[in-house]
Amino acid sequence: MTMITPLELTLFVFVLITAIMTALFRDVLASIVIFAAYSLGLAVVYTFYRAPDVGLTEAAIGAGITTILLLLTIAKTTRPRHDETFEKINWPAAGVCGLFALVLGATMFAFPAVGDPNAPAMTNPDVTVYYIENAYQETGVENAVTAVLAAYRGFDTFGEAVVVFAAGVASLIVLGREVFA
Amino acid sequence: MTLVETTIVAGYTLGDLMLVAAAGFVLLAIAMLYRAIKGPTMQDRVLAVNVLGTNTVVILALLGAALAEPWFLDIALVYALLNFLMAIAISKFTVERGGVI
Repeated sequence: MTMITPLELTLFVFVLITAIMTALFRDVLASIVIFAAYSLGLAVVYTFYRAPDVGLTEAAIGAGITTILLLLTIAKTTRPRHDETFEKINWPAAGVCGLFALVLGATMFAFPAVGDPNAPAMTNPDVTVYYIENAYQETGVENAVTAVLAAYRGFDTFGEAVVVFAAGVASLIVLGREVFA
Repeated sequence: MTLVETTIVAGYTLGDLMLVAAAGFVLLAIAMLYRAIKGPTMQDRVLAVNVLGTNTVVILALLGAALAEPWFLDIALVYALLNFLMAIAISKFTVERGGVI
């Protein structure tokens, strides 16, 4: 087990508080604002664990695009006025969710430690070791994760982009419009 | 060996001290959450999250220096820009009820 630094601990507390508050706020706009703060915390967590792509994506999608999408959504719908600040907690549902989280958390101990050289993923010669040894020579990309995502699985990523594009075109056809906005 | 690893202040490297400073800024972020959660108005919340964003930029810059990872600054820059955009978007929304975002 690796030690959790005070920095990680405070980050986790921050992310946990914002996540719970996002669920508890009764007012949708307040939820969106707190959700943006949650994204800020999570992006720092990803960046701290040296995952630059995930951190950047969380920053751009989580805090930027999602906020604007959600704002556009509540602009098109009605936002009822509330007297209470917080949602009433459905305790049976919270209990079931808590149990589910506990079951998921129980599997955490089966994972190898971060950076463990004997972890199954690190000793697999066909996949991980191949990427680590050849990714830079073959693709010229310094980050192995980016190399796998954009070069080795380039067609896969391209396919995903095609799906998103098709979905955008389809929604425009359904709406009978030529541009979003 | 970089400057943050070789400079020793009171038995700790400069990098360690920067990590402690970053942890302090994260503690401050939790304190700022009080205003974001308590409100009471939406303007308070938007302002609190905006300050949180600026705080995040500082944390990322400190971490980048402490861990000798200069690309942290790229993410910090993206955050600084997005933070501004988000504050404008939410402010515009509350004033014009989604007129122009």
